[in-house]
Amino acid sequence: MNINWFLIVSALMFALGAIGVLVRRNPLVVLLCLELMLNAGNLALLGFSRMWGDGDGQIFAIVVMVVAACEVAIGLGIVVALYRRRLPIDVDELRELAG
Amino acid sequence: MTSVLASVKGPEIDWAAFSPLLGLFGGALIVLMVGLSSPRVIRAHGVPALTIAAFGATIGLLIWEWNEQVSLIQDALILDRLTILITLLVCVAGIASTLLAWREQAAREIAHGEFFSLLLIAAGGMVVLAASRNLVTTFVGLELLSLPLYILCASRLRSERSLESGLKYLIVGSVGSATLLYGFAMLYGATGETDYAGILTQVVKEGLMGDALFLAAIGMTIVGLAFKASLAPFHQWTPDVYEGAPTPVTAFMSVATKAAALGVIVRLFFTALLPGVDDWRPAWIAIAVISILVGNVGALGQRSLKRMLAFSSIAQAGYLLVGVVVVTELGAEAVVLYLVVYLLANLAAFAVITVRERETGSDAIGSLRGLGARSPILAGAMTLAMLSLAGIPATAGFIGKFRLIEAAADGGYTWLGIVIVVGSMISLAYYLPVVAAMWRPDTEPGVDPATGRAVLAGGAQEAEAERGGWEATLVAAVMGAAILVFGIVPQPLFELVGDVLKGFGTG
Amino acid sequence: MTIHLSIVLWLPLAFGVLALLVPRSLARWVSLLGTLLTLGYAIALVADYDTAAGGLQYVTDRTWIAELGIHYKLAVTGLNVVLLLTTAILFTAAALWAALRDEPSERAGLYALLMGLAQSGVLGAFLAQDLALFVVFFDLMLVPFYFLTLIWGMDPDKRGAAVLKLFIYTLVGSLLMLVGAIATGVLAADGGSVSFVLSDLQQHLLSNGSQQWIFLVFALAFLIKMPAFPFHGWMPDGYSQMPIAPLAVFTAILSKVAAYGFLQVAIPLFPKAAVQYQELILIFALASVLYGSVMAFTATRLRLILGYSSVAQLGFIVLGIFALNERGADGALLQSVNHALVAAPMIFVVALLAARAGGSEDLRDMGGIAKRAPAFAALFLILSFALLAMPGSANFIGELFILIGLFQAKVAMAFIAAVGVALAAVYALRLYIRSMHNRVGPQVDSREISLREALVLVPMVLVVIALSLYPQFALGRVEQAVKQSLSAATATAGKETP
Repeated sequence: MNINWFLIVSALMFALGAIGVLVRRNPLVVLLCLELMLNAGNLALLGFSRMWGDGDGQIFAIVVMVVAACEVAIGLGIVVALYRRRLPIDVDELRELAG
Repeated sequence: MTSVLASVKGPEIDWAAFSPLLGLFGGALIVLMVGLSSPRVIRAHGVPALTIAAFGATIGLLIWEWNEQVSLIQDALILDRLTILITLLVCVAGIASTLLAWREQAAREIAHGEFFSLLLIAAGGMVVLAASRNLVTTFVGLELLSLPLYILCASRLRSERSLESGLKYLIVGSVGSATLLYGFAMLYGATGETDYAGILTQVVKEGLMGDALFLAAIGMTIVGLAFKASLAPFHQWTPDVYEGAPTPVTAFMSVATKAAALGVIVRLFFTALLPGVDDWRPAWIAIAVISILVGNVGALGQRSLKRMLAFSSIAQAGYLLVGVVVVTELGAEAVVLYLVVYLLANLAAFAVITVRERETGSDAIGSLRGLGARSPILAGAMTLAMLSLAGIPATAGFIGKFRLIEAAADGGYTWLGIVIVVGSMISLAYYLPVVAAMWRPDTEPGVDPATGRAVLAGGAQEAEAERGGWEATLVAAVMGAAILVFGIVPQPLFELVGDVLKGFGTG
Repeated sequence: MTIHLSIVLWLPLAFGVLALLVPRSLARWVSLLGTLLTLGYAIALVADYDTAAGGLQYVTDRTWIAELGIHYKLAVTGLNVVLLLTTAILFTAAALWAALRDEPSERAGLYALLMGLAQSGVLGAFLAQDLALFVVFFDLMLVPFYFLTLIWGMDPDKRGAAVLKLFIYTLVGSLLMLVGAIATGVLAADGGSVSFVLSDLQQHLLSNGSQQWIFLVFALAFLIKMPAFPFHGWMPDGYSQMPIAPLAVFTAILSKVAAYGFLQVAIPLFPKAAVQYQELILIFALASVLYGSVMAFTATRLRLILGYSSVAQLGFIVLGIFALNERGADGALLQSVNHALVAAPMIFVVALLAARAGGSEDLRDMGGIAKRAPAFAALFLILSFALLAMPGSANFIGELFILIGLFQAKVAMAFIAAVGVALAAVYALRLYIRSMHNRVGPQVDSREISLREALVLVPMVLVVIALSLYPQFALGRVEQAVKQSLSAATATAGKETP
């Protein structure tokens, strides 16, 4: 298969991710789009690795996967903290209204 | 044992040269473990003390390795003068930030062990970044510094602003990382190499200068790095993140991240991408000029000191880039010199902000009002910091700017020198009001103008000073004194950063 | 006697620091002692200076920053020797004024420190024989005035904005000058080791193109600092807000650093550009003379009258310098000293007048102050005569020299400049008559000058009279140095005219 196809798909993924980050407001979707951008990089790396016929790109891609997982974990952690931070306020308000 | 090692084909590691990194990461582990201990005093005071010890030990190891030039782990990393200097800056910033964070709310909220070990890991990531000579290690270093900083920014778990700042930083930072990664992927695609040295030879051999894939790779790399170094027009996140993050974290970020980012820019563009200098120079020049203008104009009229310093840091990063685009040894030296000067001024300023924030609960410029009469040390340090950032003579900032302009003129870019001073002129309009707020006789009610003490209850004043913390005052005083001393006797600075490119191409 | 210039340079600052450490009540007197010692040292220096030998004397030359090629090189020359003495006299007067009137009432130690820093800055700018060092001191001397105005300025609501304007205006010039200076050093080195020492730079003059833009940058910095029309935008606000004693030294001596800068730096280093832009600078100077005179005639606030008068006077000085001949430049330097010696006591007179007119500094609120104050009136009259360059005063000689020089260079401009001389008489006399004579103002309380006030004013008037009797004191010392400073420019001009 021609290397160009890999590149085109990965460029599309990257653009899709970038647009998603810019236009979507939901933090979860934004995190998803970030993943898309990083994986676009991964796909390009793998394609190039195949083209050059060495393992460097694949190793790079594996490292990136680890990093991407960390990033999402942190992102989700902060999102959860944000939700938790907002939740008790609502609960308090409810309690005040009741009593 | 030796026979087992011999049979495994592991990379050769020069442990001595690797030791500064081990100091930081080892320190992070120890701090994390000690943070689990139950006595509160150990958690609240032992942990930061150990953190400082780890940074101090790293500085000691650096001094031990001062004259070494060793490539590490098959040229993935290199220990040369540039690495050592950047590591030194990061460690000094780390010590100062630890002192500032000693009584920080944030450290209590996410537990001391976590807070300070994340600080150490981020510092380690910066060192990896500045030392890396391989695209993979560069990326790892970048993430190793970014991920802990995302958490640190969000570490005031009960403050929505802090959490938002963390999330925002994470999103924008990840966009930067992804862009950079894509750029790296294309660079690998164009050259088939991930080592800087290999890329260099490939680019020269294949004559890739001007090649479309290579150009795209350079473009994406520049954009990615500009995101990370908060250079305009990729800077929009900076003010929000700086404002929302806990002040000690902001202090560390503003100084250390910048040092590491400039370190990697110098290393990547002065080695691997050097043949393509005509391709990337215009882009960096444009970013430098835009950063200087946007940063300085944006800082005008800001009420929050942290936001103002955020914009100012964008402008200062623009000044620093001028040293990069001339691509001379003098330029690299000017960059590192200016980083030192910038570090002193920013840490002094953030130390004062930390104290005032604890005392008044606000980082508005108004919170400094009357500080000149109440606390001349803090006000003096802040004044020197502002004057130094503006580049007034007799402060270190003047020397730094002098060197940068000289590098620009020497490299044939005198007009960039003029851009720097035009930026400095604009910057006076926001640095000086800070100074004015502190020294103008106080009209604040309840304060006796003659003595500058609160008319009511002198005891309350004492208690407030106690809450501000003597460590932060110490940081401010030391940094302020250093600004003045290095402004008058700059020789040690020049000796420190001299030969910055020594051993640059080793390995 | 061996004279160390570092001592005279740093003595004021050292006493300033000392004043910060001693008890509040002593601070003003420590500051005064510092200025007196500096004055004594300056007198010794002038007495010891060898006029016949000329050149650089008492040279102190050390490498300050080797990597940048900046030398800590100080020297006394014919150009600066009299100005140094003038600086010492004026700062002594300012310190005396502060000490005798117990000004300022708050934070006297900080005040003394800032004044000491200011004096060291000015002396440094005069003494520096290294371009970068000159730029450092040129910027540095401004910093204390920022704080002086900010903390002790006149109107609490307006001084912040006024001083910001002043600072930004003047630093715009200074910072551009910094780039110009660095470019000069780097270009002159031409790949070799960079040196900013003036004598080295004079050996390697720049190419014509570089000279032009760098000269313009320097000229802009100096014209802003003077201030000259149309770069005087900071002056009305700045003068209105500055406290009296700092204003006296500011208007008297800081403006002269700029004039001195032309002779010391701009013309010797960029002779071709100086010749090329001679007319441009002369036009600015002429505009300053006319604009300043007219504004001084229409303004009613006393400070502004003096401010605009100094715009006009500085215009004269620049006219003399850019006649680019010895006669004109001699006159310009003499006039620098004259104006400094007259302007400072005039500012003190403004304070005394205001004290007698119910605190107002407006000319319309004054009049008839001379009634019960003949001695004060006499002192004021002498100063006014000196300001309007009455024949017999040193100012007359200075302006005469300037006009002669200008006649030799540009006849048409000299005629217009002569009008400026006449205008000076108009505004100086208006100032005197409307404040001292005429109808008595509503709140005017005419009283004689007190002993404390006289202690400041009388010696200064005596100095003015002394210089009038013996202007040769200044002229004799400057002549040779002026010739040297102009030599490159006159050589260029000589080559082009035939």
